[in-house]
Amino acid sequence: MTLPAGAANRIVSGDTTTTWQDLALVDLPGAAAVFVADDLDAARVVWTHATGSRETLVAAASRAEPGLVDSLLDAGLAVVHLAGDDIEVTASPTPRPPEADRVWLLTSGTTGRPKRVGHTLASLTTVGGQQPPRTWLCPYTPGAYAWWQVVTLSLNLPGQDIVFVSPQDFERWPELARRHGVTAASGTPTFWRQALLRSGETLREVGLQQVTLGGEPVDQGVLDLVHEAFPAARVSWIYASSEAGAAIAVHDGRAGFPAAWLDRDAPGRPRLRVDGDELLIASPHRGAGIDAELHTGDRVQIVDDRVLITGRLATDEINVGGSKVSAAQVREVLLSHPGVAWAAVKGRRAPLVGTVVAADVVLSDPSVTEAGLAQWCAARLAEYAVPRRFRMLDSVPISESLKSDV
Amino acid sequence: MSDLSRDEVRGMMADVLTKQGKTLPAGDTTPLDEIGFRSLDFSELALRVEDEVDAELNFDAPGLREIRTVGDVLDFIDQLLTA
Repeated sequence: MTLPAGAANRIVSGDTTTTWQDLALVDLPGAAAVFVADDLDAARVVWTHATGSRETLVAAASRAEPGLVDSLLDAGLAVVHLAGDDIEVTASPTPRPPEADRVWLLTSGTTGRPKRVGHTLASLTTVGGQQPPRTWLCPYTPGAYAWWQVVTLSLNLPGQDIVFVSPQDFERWPELARRHGVTAASGTPTFWRQALLRSGETLREVGLQQVTLGGEPVDQGVLDLVHEAFPAARVSWIYASSEAGAAIAVHDGRAGFPAAWLDRDAPGRPRLRVDGDELLIASPHRGAGIDAELHTGDRVQIVDDRVLITGRLATDEINVGGSKVSAAQVREVLLSHPGVAWAAVKGRRAPLVGTVVAADVVLSDPSVTEAGLAQWCAARLAEYAVPRRFRMLDSVPISESLKSDV
Repeated sequence: MSDLSRDEVRGMMADVLTKQGKTLPAGDTTPLDEIGFRSLDFSELALRVEDEVDAELNFDAPGLREIRTVGDVLDFIDQLLTA
């Protein structure tokens, strides 16, 4: 068997430094959804997949909700929980042969159960050709599209090492980057703002040659900030998702992309189009079964010679530092509080993370406090989905149409 | 921008933590990691300050810095308020 071209690349996760080819294989069923404890386990699953003929989904253990697990089992995948040497396998009630080389990614599931999007290692490998040797920082959650992009780059191109950052090390990654000689890093605008704010002086000592931003709208302010911090680095912003694949890459230091790229047909490149104020993408890197031309739901605005991506079209999705929150879900949690009569939830612009969740509330029990509501939500929602600002209203606001302003 | 005092900002920082069942220690030297003051908390503190002074804070002000301790946060907010 021919090993992937990046087999000898270095992998760092926590206290472990190894290479792809030295990773221990995992004894997995042929078609398996694997929920992993950390990046090292995730890398082992990837290496097991890459060196066999398998069908694999890899995701962080935190994503293993009962409804999702049931749907994966129903789809014929065994569900595996992996934490180092501990492995727990639940067989599918309808086992089937693996669809060879299939890699499944999960969507964020902001507005319901996450969907599976089909890829292969080849479709996830969007960077090719001769690349300078680099050590990449990978701060993404195992199994996310952006995580796969860094992983497949390292797996398939010699000289592309990876330093994974675990959630517990997230806020001290600049120190890890300096220690392990990271030269390239990819993250959301929030990730970069946070790092520059908290650890700017440490970052100055990290020899970054490549800085990549994505996952949230990338404005000129954050690009200028990153350029100033890393004057010698190439700064890129990327538009990518599990459905659309990697579709846009811009390296000129300006927000948005050139309007000249719209309606342009170039072999092997995505075709970009604007319909009304929505961005449409037909990408060769899209997931299996995704519409040839994908309605992205992202709002764009053409200003002079640039197409700026300014946010989402009418949707209840709130993007908190790259994590997607359903306003309806937060509202539902607030309304389930016995002391809440009415609630409206929206995103509020905030420094550092771009947007936070904010709520207007009418109480039926005046003894309920903001802290009490925050704790109620914290027990039922992800940390980033908990409203950070509450406004206690005396009565339900009614608009001119006599509808409440939700 | 405003004469919001350092003690008032400290009080807001304490409110952010108290809401989560955490405590802000008295001194300025405690590392943020130790008290679990994270990016979302920083954003919430900024919103509280913005609401109080009725103006937006610009976190994108140029310059590299290190914000590791409670005092660093208070210094930074103070710097933004007096800019």
